[in-house]
Amino acid sequence: MTPRETDAWVLPPGIPAPTPLERLRAGDLPVRHPTRDAVDAEALIAALRGARRDLAAIPTAKMVRILGGAAEALTRELDRADLLDVAANGRLSVAMARAVVDGMAPSWTTAAIDHLVRAEFPDPRVLDGFVAETGRRVRAAGPAVTLHFGAGSVPGVTVTSMIRALLVRSAVLVKPGAGDIALTVRFARLLHRADPRLARAVAVQYWPGGAPAWDGWERDLLRAADQVVVYGGDAAIEAVRARAPAATRLIEHPHRVGVAIIGAETDPPAARMARATARAAALFEQRGCVSTHLALVVGDEDAARAFCSELAAGLAALESQLPPAPLSPGELSALHQIRGRITMKGATVWPATPRGWSVALARPDDFEPAGARTVWVAPIGSLAECPDALAPLSPVLQTIGLAGVDHERATALAEDLFAIGATRIVPLDQVPFPDPDWLHDGARPLQELVRWGELRGPRRTG
Amino acid sequence: MTAGRGAVTGDAAFDRLALKVHAAQRTSNPLLRRYWDAVSDGPPTTWHEIPPVPVRAFRDVPIVTGTPEVIFRTSGTTGGGEGGGGSSSGSAPRGEHHVASLELYRSAARENYRRHLFAGADVLSVIALVPNPAAVPDSSLATMAGFIAREREVAQSVWAFDAVRGVDVGAACKAVTTAATVPPGTPGPSAASPPILLLTTAFALVQLLDALAGSPLPFPHGSRIMETGGFKGRAAEVDRTTLYRRVRRTLGVPESHIVNEYGMTEMLSQAYDCVAGQAPPAGERVHRFPPWVRTRALDPADLSPLPPGRPGLLAHFDLANAASVCHLLTEDYGSVTADGGVRLLGRAPGAAVRGCSLAAEAFLRVTGAA
Repeated sequence: MTPRETDAWVLPPGIPAPTPLERLRAGDLPVRHPTRDAVDAEALIAALRGARRDLAAIPTAKMVRILGGAAEALTRELDRADLLDVAANGRLSVAMARAVVDGMAPSWTTAAIDHLVRAEFPDPRVLDGFVAETGRRVRAAGPAVTLHFGAGSVPGVTVTSMIRALLVRSAVLVKPGAGDIALTVRFARLLHRADPRLARAVAVQYWPGGAPAWDGWERDLLRAADQVVVYGGDAAIEAVRARAPAATRLIEHPHRVGVAIIGAETDPPAARMARATARAAALFEQRGCVSTHLALVVGDEDAARAFCSELAAGLAALESQLPPAPLSPGELSALHQIRGRITMKGATVWPATPRGWSVALARPDDFEPAGARTVWVAPIGSLAECPDALAPLSPVLQTIGLAGVDHERATALAEDLFAIGATRIVPLDQVPFPDPDWLHDGARPLQELVRWGELRGPRRTG
Repeated sequence: MTAGRGAVTGDAAFDRLALKVHAAQRTSNPLLRRYWDAVSDGPPTTWHEIPPVPVRAFRDVPIVTGTPEVIFRTSGTTGGGEGGGGSSSGSAPRGEHHVASLELYRSAARENYRRHLFAGADVLSVIALVPNPAAVPDSSLATMAGFIAREREVAQSVWAFDAVRGVDVGAACKAVTTAATVPPGTPGPSAASPPILLLTTAFALVQLLDALAGSPLPFPHGSRIMETGGFKGRAAEVDRTTLYRRVRRTLGVPESHIVNEYGMTEMLSQAYDCVAGQAPPAGERVHRFPPWVRTRALDPADLSPLPPGRPGLLAHFDLANAASVCHLLTEDYGSVTADGGVRLLGRAPGAAVRGCSLAAEAFLRVTGAA
């Protein structure tokens, strides 16, 4: 079975079928996408903008059901051929693609989406109209059109981004990451089928982001959209910042690193903590913003070395459960370079020759994310020393997974970890899949998409 | 080094010398000893068994035996390129090659550049689109260009490159016109004009051609070009066939007279893909190192050696690197020929797949480690 050619666009009714088309390989998935002039950017944005009134008319409860229904169908109806497309697109094994979709699915259910709305809006009616509170009435809504630039190759990231914007009644135009086309297009088609009002409010189109030929197209969209959500590296985010008008709101999700802290205060078996670390590193092939790259092990070097052995066993076991996709010569070359470099600096590296994973016992100062299931392990004297050791990572820190840390101690430690930039501190086994209401990069994901309005009456006198 | 040519042409002689140098490096450099102890199965019985050191290690630690006479630095764009100066993006940590002896570097470079660049020329004018070594003493490429400029056949040399601004197009044009005008005041190239040897990076050559915008700048008959480096990390990319065609049209130098040099800051010896004026047709070019260098293509998965013709990661063993480290694992991709030549294919294909997790280079930049 081979991956099927996928059309990388879903356009609202009334927008002519794009022609001509270009073909490319997105990961290992053959893809067709519209050429530069095949779709009129202004007409597309105008069509999405025109859907606003209909979108606003959908009550929140109904919107939750539509989105939840479509997202549940997305995960329920994925057969092996579909999964193969998703896997090929993201350069993942089919088993990994299944694990990623299954892991994300709980945050896409109707119940989870309802929970997200209620977590952020205790009175969700503010999304439907003005609601009285003391001295005024308030209302929240997203702007008419939100443009999404998806992350490279983590399937599902864009689906979540679309759900969030639609919940606050913002029409969506999505440029999926090159490795997240298959799932995004499939979800958009389900939304189109679910409700004609959503069909008018949802568009997906892939184009080679950042390519000089598409600069004019991107500028047109950035000018026309009201809000932009961008996932990506420094270059991608800076390119959007440089071209978006000042009035356009930018919501940025830059690349991040995740860390595990392995304490010695509680007594879970080391093998279990090592397995959780292995899983936190391996899922998404370590490409997720939540993915673990570094483990600080409280104890001496012997303790860290023992943890490395358990971790190596855990990663080796995952090779058969969640096989990695074959690494390209370029990826293998990068691995050889980094493994050799850190060995020269005194690190011990497992296994002797690269397989689909590596464990490096090294000093925290030598850490740099290597990807390809590479976990750095560093001994640390005590939990109290962890924040200082992680402080250099402050600008890029996001998720910290804790294991073997007493609950009370975790609360105190969290204060210091938050102070250096960690925005998600969770038990290690929860690292890979955040809850639907997680504070994504330190923000409430729906609140950051909305504008609030207030309606006040005349002041009472006398 | 010239005297050593005969001594290292045979495989047995090379092996003997390689093991001897390796033993000396292992004894005198604790970093290398630690590395080889960690990754070796035991003492090597042939140079093939000596684990190559990744070139990126030159970014982290000084790899040298004794006191260096000069430190060459990579350009910072790729970690492996020759320091051309002036065009670095400054986005990556720079590798350092601590070189014990400049004279050793000159000896390692000289015979090969003379053989490939000076063929059939008694007198040459050198125009360099690389920095003057006096201005950028840490550039290995500029230093080699300085060696070339001092050769007895070189009647005059002009440095038409500014370390900050890049190619000095005005100076280059003036130098070409002057060199091509014999006697003074006679316009146009003369058959009697000494040929020019243009020393340039591929990127600087593109800069010059772009600035000329198709206006002819004819080089004298017999002129030749040594171009080196790729376009890695550059905004503009162009393939070599297109570049050579533009050179022929604008500068009048045929493809047969354009020599590609392959070298790196971390290595004192270089390879050339033809003798000037005798280049085989495109696609048949093979890079040749001097006999004190051996190259293997290694399987990217496990670094096992690949037979001739099979592409892999290139590892070079350069005996001239006696005072640093001889066996280098590069990030370049290519194959070897049965007679020891190297077919270069560029960087190992397939960059790391991106998600929303931070990559190493960005991490080093953000955390200030770069």
